[in-house]
Amino acid sequence: QERNPRGIPKAPFIADVDEYLGPTPDVETALKEFQAALAKYRYMDHNLAQRRRGLEEKIPDIKKTLSMVEFLQERREGKSSTDAGDDDLTDDDDLDDEDAEGPKKPLQTTFELNDTLYAEAELEDTDTVYLWLGANVMLSYKIPAAISLLGSKLEAAEASLQTVVEDLEFLREQITIMEVNTARVYNWDVKRRRELREKE
Amino acid sequence: MASTSSQPQQINVTDLDLPQLADVRRQLEEELSHLSNSFAQLRQAQAKFRACIDNVGQVKPENKDKTILVPLTNSLYVPGKLSDHENVIVDVGTGYYVKKSRAQAAKHYESKVEYIRTNLEALQETIQKKQDNMNYLVNVMQMKLQEQAGKTAKA
Repeated sequence: QERNPRGIPKAPFIADVDEYLGPTPDVETALKEFQAALAKYRYMDHNLAQRRRGLEEKIPDIKKTLSMVEFLQERREGKSSTDAGDDDLTDDDDLDDEDAEGPKKPLQTTFELNDTLYAEAELEDTDTVYLWLGANVMLSYKIPAAISLLGSKLEAAEASLQTVVEDLEFLREQITIMEVNTARVYNWDVKRRRELREKE
Repeated sequence: MASTSSQPQQINVTDLDLPQLADVRRQLEEELSHLSNSFAQLRQAQAKFRACIDNVGQVKPENKDKTILVPLTNSLYVPGKLSDHENVIVDVGTGYYVKKSRAQAAKHYESKVEYIRTNLEALQETIQKKQDNMNYLVNVMQMKLQEQAGKTAKA
């Protein structure tokens, strides 16, 4: 039996019902098998749909977190280059435009304390960010490490999403094939019984 | 049958036969579960507002220079300090965020908690009435069952 890359068995399309069922056609068993296969396909479909929904929620989150960390890093690089620039350059108009308030510019932000409650805070200048990994686990990372971790998480999630979508399409096809098979076998059986009755 | 659904005591419920009684009972059960759900949700909302009151209490001058972890996104936290310890921003609904002093914010949440409390009380009464209705209905059903059992025994 063929399988797709993720191990989902392919449904055989029964072109000739007679040939498939053979000399002693056992229609009941065949139909039961088809129903069982259909139930398995539908169950997989349900699971994959759930996974897809979860991934589609997570991916924008990871993107936002990644862009925030990159922003923090740019700010730090902007500040450290002004400090270095003061030594080397006497004419730092470009840098002045970006850091008009001088080298020390803590970031003011409003953050969420609760669903309807926000407060203002000043972000310290630090090279460490804390990432919530889920399951009551939070780790601290230096900014470059955080960026590479988030980048790889994002890639993995997007690749997963792609395979899940492919699998869902594949499953759709297989479910249709199985339903068509069931209908054909049933119709063939009806025809056969009618023919048998007419012979008598 | 016109008003059987809301006030069974007023109509001669004893005239309804068993399937109809079962129908009315099912309807009452649905309403009861719906009301209980709403009750639970209101309780949750009230608990959240109480939590907000606590949070407002924590934005105080004593915590001014302590380092806190500031959430920037769902999974990103950065160390920082509270810059404004007198005011907080409250979401008052329909897209409006108002900067209030801590006292004003606490009052705002307390009035919300109070409002929910009055609603909860009214809801509790309604639930109680429905429960009473259903009990009465079940009694009538049992009476009818016994009557019927008596009749079929005789016949």
